[in-house]
Amino acid sequence: MHFQDLILTLERFWAEHGCVIGQPYNSEVGAGTFNPHTFLRAIGPEPWNVAYVEPSRRPTDGRYGENPNRLQQFHQYQVILKPSPLNIQELYLDSLRALGTDPTKHDVRFIEDDWESPTLGAWGLGWQVWLDGLEISQFTYFQQCGGIDCKPISGELTYGLERIAMYLQDVDDVYDLSYAEGIRYGDLFQRNEWEWSTYNFERADVELHKRLFDEYEAQVYRLLGLSTEKQKGNVLEWLEADPKKRLVLPAYDCVVKCSHYFNVLDARGAISVTERQRYIQRVRHIARGAAVAWYEQREALGFPLLKKVAEAAE
Amino acid sequence: MPDLLLELGLEELPASFVRSGLESLGTAAKELLAAHRLDCVSIETLGTPRRLTIVAHALPDAQPDREEVVAGPPWNVAFKDGAWTKAAEGFAKKNGVSMDALFERTNEDPKKPSTVAAKVFEQGRATAEVLAELLPELCRRASFPKSMRWGAGDFAFGRPVQWLVALLDDVVVPFEFAGIASGRTTRGHRFLAPASFEVPSAAAYEDALEGRHVIVRIERRRALMEQAISLAAGALGGTLVPDEFLLSECSMLVEKPFVVPGSFEPRFLELPEAVIVSVMRDHQRYFAVKGPDGKLLPRYLNVVGTANDPERIAKGNDRVLRARLADARFFVNEDRKQKLVDRRPKLDAVTFQHKLGSIGAKVERIERIARHLATVQQLDASLVGRAAQLAKCDLESLIVFEFPELQGQMGRFYAEKDGEDPAVCLAIEEHWRPAGASDAVPTQALGALLAVADRLDTLVGCFAIGQAPKGNADPFGLRRAALGVIRIALEGPIDVPIAEAVDTAIAALAHLDFDAAAVRREVLAFVSARLDAQFRGEYGADLVDAVLGAWNHGSLRDFRARLEALAGFRSAAEYEPLAVAFKRAFNIAAQATGDVDASLLEAGAEKDLADAFAKARADIDAHTAKGEYAAALARVATDLKAPIDRFFDDVFVMVDDERVRGNRLALLGQIAGTVSRIVHFHKLQPAEKS
Repeated sequence: MHFQDLILTLERFWAEHGCVIGQPYNSEVGAGTFNPHTFLRAIGPEPWNVAYVEPSRRPTDGRYGENPNRLQQFHQYQVILKPSPLNIQELYLDSLRALGTDPTKHDVRFIEDDWESPTLGAWGLGWQVWLDGLEISQFTYFQQCGGIDCKPISGELTYGLERIAMYLQDVDDVYDLSYAEGIRYGDLFQRNEWEWSTYNFERADVELHKRLFDEYEAQVYRLLGLSTEKQKGNVLEWLEADPKKRLVLPAYDCVVKCSHYFNVLDARGAISVTERQRYIQRVRHIARGAAVAWYEQREALGFPLLKKVAEAAE
Repeated sequence: MPDLLLELGLEELPASFVRSGLESLGTAAKELLAAHRLDCVSIETLGTPRRLTIVAHALPDAQPDREEVVAGPPWNVAFKDGAWTKAAEGFAKKNGVSMDALFERTNEDPKKPSTVAAKVFEQGRATAEVLAELLPELCRRASFPKSMRWGAGDFAFGRPVQWLVALLDDVVVPFEFAGIASGRTTRGHRFLAPASFEVPSAAAYEDALEGRHVIVRIERRRALMEQAISLAAGALGGTLVPDEFLLSECSMLVEKPFVVPGSFEPRFLELPEAVIVSVMRDHQRYFAVKGPDGKLLPRYLNVVGTANDPERIAKGNDRVLRARLADARFFVNEDRKQKLVDRRPKLDAVTFQHKLGSIGAKVERIERIARHLATVQQLDASLVGRAAQLAKCDLESLIVFEFPELQGQMGRFYAEKDGEDPAVCLAIEEHWRPAGASDAVPTQALGALLAVADRLDTLVGCFAIGQAPKGNADPFGLRRAALGVIRIALEGPIDVPIAEAVDTAIAALAHLDFDAAAVRREVLAFVSARLDAQFRGEYGADLVDAVLGAWNHGSLRDFRARLEALAGFRSAAEYEPLAVAFKRAFNIAAQATGDVDASLLEAGAEKDLADAFAKARADIDAHTAKGEYAAALARVATDLKAPIDRFFDDVFVMVDDERVRGNRLALLGQIAGTVSRIVHFHKLQPAEKS
């Protein structure tokens, strides 16, 4: 199974199980969770089922294309089922079967692995899924997102596509994966890894990234109509009282950018331990602002997806 | 006498959740059944990652009937002007009794007024009926390290609830919990017997599951697993590297244990064995196997939940392990590009505690304290400096960053590769010991010196910056640190003069602004409290107290020598009378001043005591000074017991003549003083003669 067939199979599988097939976010993210399809839609009462590929960047994991297992950019396949159905584990196992992996012929186990994103103010409980000792997926029941308690609860399935493909294709080096007929993963990404590793560790302009962080952070406050006075603690003070006038999506875009610039600065070794905490708090605060603004806006709009479900039921 | 079976079917629980869930359910079941007058013979807990099960054996068919006196409103409110009031009528109605069944009942507390009361008969209800009401509460009382919500988000539990089985023998107890209705339908092994099926009865439950590849009894599952891994280790020509954590963890990760052996390339054996074992245990939960020569084999044992195709499973796991070991080897090779000692400057940039400064600063203090301790005890101090400087360097290595539990072991490994002195290498590893109550103390003096210095620095430093433990909160592990020092002195190769050591640690922190006298007092009191906690169970609180008073924070071994001498003496016939006599002498002598004037001694008991004391005093003091406490106590018993008893029998101390009185007090004061240097007899509480 080529790498791209793996994606196509999952797309088909989850589409047949009622998911909207979404698209990757067009800004740098560390994981599929940052995509508004997950981060924003997990908030509030509206039902939502979505599946998409997310190219995910982890600048500190870069190895200049020399390590057979580690990449600064890899691909997640992200599924959100909200509310999480009671048969979510069975659905997940069915998706493995669709990939040609018969769980009775392997050792498939759900091993405790709780998840937390300090920058997103999000956490959940769940597992990593082991396939013959290899962690192939993360499975999380979101409990909080942007500091807001989730209700209903989203079930998040995140497949590590490279790992699964290496397993299915029986290769030890990620760059040897067959991406498509006649095209290796290395043909597409090995140079990519070297360039971005060099950039993240050696060449990224520290002052530029610090400035960009500050500017985009300020932009979030402006777009949301959020006071900068009370950044400390958990207080959100709105200057713009009308939720419909707040530009939630552009503001969230800036939150994602701040998070990415922080990651680059971290990889670049430009942040001290104490500064690190402060940066995380700053991103967390604006992420929370965007989350609350999103909730209030959806509420002001009458939670449109909830209405659809009600209409369909009639 | 029916049995109750309650099975909560859940999504995969972590091992710690199975344990805490079952423990809380067991306790709650006991309490709730008793509170509802349903006494059972025993309660068993069974469980796997997917189910928590409670079995209550031999319940009654129904609650016993009961009649009890129920008290109502005060009598003067219930009965006024010769007639029942509305309040009385309400009380009777509420309890279902007629008005003529009411009577006056005096209150047990005579200060409180009497009340109206009624004998209320309650017919015992059928057990099944009571259980239907009680089981939801039982389920709610399951507790977990963390709980979560799922689906609509209305319920919180350790993991989502999938099904509920509740049977009283073969009859379903109907109830609902977390949106799930109870029944008799359960599920077998997730992959090997996935179909749901009906449990015929509580008694048939365990076997029915076993037939579907679920071993629900925890001890049995673990025993089967241990048997299987031992066999598998034998088949590989080796023996298992024992690991209690893995045994307990792995048996809780599967519903039925299968063992799949795997292997890695022998070239990885050039890594330190501890690294290989850690990689296998921490990341993959594999057991390591040793060959007949005691060396690690390039094999491992993997406990899995499904093993229809062991070769395929082994191949997958081998691949994962290979990548992990390659990572570890990369870290070790990177680390070895630099000598261990060259990492020392980096420690100056790593914060230990922001007020106490860097790890590098701590290392300097450790060296200073350890040197001083070596000097005062006339130990070889020549390697102390090198060992102290290297002790923490591995904290800056990649491998310890990845596997923190290898601190010390990796430092030793790198130091050996760098050609450091073998004693230094060993000390690097041993200075972390004891890591906990079950860990051994350092075997050699050098590591012990560093270990004591390190712990005292932490102890004194934290007290100096106001971070002493409060209540149960002990974020810096100071109790463990103090206990570590005590154990090293008592079980290890070096003694620790505790006041001296604390003073040195305080001096090493001279750059900080704190009340040195207060910190000295507090730290020594803290050590005394640990000694007390450690020894009172074995020796009794009063013995420890008596020794602590006389010991005066000398060396820790001296403390134990006194304690053992006194404990040995306790069985002697003279012990109790002496304790009583010296207690008296001590109390009276508190008023003593000045020296004994021999010319004022009265012939007889008083003079005899003074003579006996004068004869024995130098010997007792000499024994005490040499730490020969048993001998000192023996002399006290043989030479002083009889005279002092006679003295108290025959001599009246508090005579009117001020000079005679003062002289007698002075004599008692001197004796009490000499004896108090051994132990504080007046703190002993001789057992009441029964």
